Amino acid sequence: MEKITLKSITKAYGKNPPVIEDLNLGIEEGSFTVLLGPSGCGKSTVLRMIAGLEKTTAGDVLIDGVSVRDVEPGDRNIAMVFQNYALYPTMSVRDNIEFGLKNMKVGKDERNARINEVAEMVGLTEYLSRKPANLSGGQRQRVALARAIVKKPAVFLMDEPLSNLDAKLRTQIRTDLIELHQRLRTTFVYVTHDQVEAMSMGTDIVLMDQGKIQQHDSPAEIYAHPANVFTARFIGSPPMNVVPAEAAHGQTPDFVSKVGFRPERSHIVRPGEKVGEDTVLIDGNMLAREMLGDQTQYKMETENGTVFVKEFNDDLLDYGDHQIAVKLSDIACFDMQGKLVGFGLKKE
Amino acid sequence: MQQTKSGAQSSAPAAPEITEVPAAAYPVMKQKSAFRRFFITARPYLMVAPAMAVFILFLIYPIIYMVYLSFFDWNMIGEMKFIGVQNYTDMFADSDFWQVLGNSIYYMVMVVILQMALSLLLAAYLNKNTRINRILQTVAFTPYITSMVSVAFIWMWMMDSDYGLLNYFLSFFGVEPIGWLSDPAVAMNSLVLVSVWKGLGYNTIIIISAMQAVPGYLYEAAALDKTPKWKSFLKITLPMISPTIFFLALMNIIAALKVFETVNIMTKGGPMNSTNTLVYNIYQYGFQYFEIGYASTLGVALMVVIGIFTLIYFRVLSRRVYYN
Repeated sequence: MEKITLKSITKAYGKNPPVIEDLNLGIEEGSFTVLLGPSGCGKSTVLRMIAGLEKTTAGDVLIDGVSVRDVEPGDRNIAMVFQNYALYPTMSVRDNIEFGLKNMKVGKDERNARINEVAEMVGLTEYLSRKPANLSGGQRQRVALARAIVKKPAVFLMDEPLSNLDAKLRTQIRTDLIELHQRLRTTFVYVTHDQVEAMSMGTDIVLMDQGKIQQHDSPAEIYAHPANVFTARFIGSPPMNVVPAEAAHGQTPDFVSKVGFRPERSHIVRPGEKVGEDTVLIDGNMLAREMLGDQTQYKMETENGTVFVKEFNDDLLDYGDHQIAVKLSDIACFDMQGKLVGFGLKKE
Repeated sequence: MQQTKSGAQSSAPAAPEITEVPAAAYPVMKQKSAFRRFFITARPYLMVAPAMAVFILFLIYPIIYMVYLSFFDWNMIGEMKFIGVQNYTDMFADSDFWQVLGNSIYYMVMVVILQMALSLLLAAYLNKNTRINRILQTVAFTPYITSMVSVAFIWMWMMDSDYGLLNYFLSFFGVEPIGWLSDPAVAMNSLVLVSVWKGLGYNTIIIISAMQAVPGYLYEAAALDKTPKWKSFLKITLPMISPTIFFLALMNIIAALKVFETVNIMTKGGPMNSTNTLVYNIYQYGFQYFEIGYASTLGVALMVVIGIFTLIYFRVLSRRVYYN
C-alpha cells in the first residue's frame, strides 16, 4: 500500500522556471525509500513538500490516500531529521526530545517513559541534561534521531542526516539506521546525494536529476538494469564507462548510440592469459592506478576516451600499455535518448 | 614499499642538547639587544598610550576629581573649604534628595520595562522582511536620529495643556484636558512617554536584526514539533535573542538614569519637584546654585546607583542569558 503519494507535483520559486514539474511518485508503506540525486536535483524540495515545509505550486501530496494540502506539518504524523540536526540550542537534550511530546499533549508519565526508552535506544541516557553545544557531532545526530523516534511518527523524513559526520561514524550510523528501520517497520524517506548510502540502506531508490525521476527501483535492480545513461553512471563507483557506439566498430544495431561497461566487470589482460571468444579486448595506456587494499582501480587512456577498470586481484600492474578485457554480455547498449536497450554485444 | 621500510628504520638521532652561551661572550651585542628588548616590551603600551591618555584625562581624572570635590565647600570662585563628609550627611538628611532618587528610579524602571516590551512586540510584528515593513522600520527609526532638544520642544508643544495637540485630539472623545507637564502626578509619565517614543525605533531595529539571525530551520523543526506560534516565540526566539535583550536593557537602564535634556527643556524638574532627576539636580546645584561640592556629592551618588543596578543586573539576569 502506498503511504505517500505525490500527484503531478510542480514546484516553482517566484517567476523562475519550475525546479520540479509534474512529478509523480508513490512511496510504499514500510519501505526505506531513498531520494537520490546530484545536488540541486530537487530531492530535498520533494522531501520538504512531503513535510509541509514547502507549499506545492501545483499537484497534491497524499498521506494514506488523503490530501494533506491544508494539514500543518505538525499534524501530518511525520518526524524529520535535518542535515544540521536543527536542535534547539537553548534546551537540554531531554527538553529537545520532550518538546514535541509536550506540544502533542502527551501526559507526563508517558513522556518520561518514552524519553527513557528512546534515550536507551540511541545511547543518550547519560547526556540528557547536557546542552547540544556540549555534544559531539555524532551525539547531536543521535539527539536529532531520538527527537524523531520519540514522537512515534508514521513516517520518518531524513534530509542528508549523515553528511556532517566523519566517514567512520557515517558507516556506523548507516547500519544503525538499517537496524532502526527493521525494528520500527515504519516508512522512511531519506534524501542523499551519496549512492553508497542509497545502495546500502534503501529498499527503494528514487534516482532524480533536474527535477525528474530517472528511475525508481530496488538497489539491486537499479544497479543491474540502469534505465538510462544517467542512472548507469550515477550508481557505481567509479561510474560505468560509457563511450560512443562507434567504439564497437559497427557491431551494434543502428539505434544504439552509446555502449558501456562497469569498471568492476572488466579486467586487464595478464601476459599469457587466454581470452575467450565471448570477450572483447580494448587497447589502453595506464594513466593512474589506485591501490585500495582489497581492490585496485586503473585509469586507462583508450582511443575512445579514458575508462576505469576495477580489479580485485592482489598483483599490482605496472604503468604502460595494456589490454582491457570485457565480456560481451556485460556491455550495455543505450539508444539515442540514452535509454538502456539491453546488455550484450554480438562479436562478428 | 622499500621507501616506507627505510623511512621507518631511519629514526632521527637524538638532538644535541642546546647549551647556553655565556653573556660575556658577546659584550658588544648585549647593549643593543637590551634596548631592543625594552622596545619590544614597551611597544604595546606605546601603541595604546594615546587612547589611554584620553581615557584618563576625560574619564578617570574627572571621576577622581569629582570624589575629591565632594569633600569641599566651593562656589567655583572663592576659596575651597574642606568640610569632610558634611556634604554626604546633608544629602542623606535631605528629603529632596530621596525624592529625586525615587524619581530617577521610577523613570528608569518605567522606561526600561515599556521600552523593552514595546520594542519586542514591534520587532515581532516587523520581523517579516516585506517592502512595507522596511519602510515602517525606517519610520520607527527616525526619532532616534532626531536631536533630543528638537524632540523635547515638539513634545512640549504637543503636551501643552491649553493649546497642545494631544488634548485637542482627546477632546474629540470628550476627554477632559490632561496636565501632561503641569500635573505632578502625570508629568513624569509624560517624560517616560517621550523617551520610549524616541528610543523605540532603535531598540526595535536591534532586536529585529537579532531575530533575523535565528536560523530558520529551528522554526521548521518547531513546526514539525507541532509548536504554536506564541510558544515558538517564547521558547525559541526569546532565548536565542536574549544576549541582545540583555545588552539593550542594560544600555537603557544606564541612559535612563542619566536623563537630562527632556527634564531641562520640558519641565525644569517641576511641577513640585515631581520630575527632578539626579542629573538635573546635579546641574541645578552645580550651575545654578554654584554649590560644586554638593553637586559632586550627588554625582558620586549617581555613579553608585548606576553601579549597583549594573551589578544586580549582571548577577541576577546574566545567568539566564544564552550565549552561543
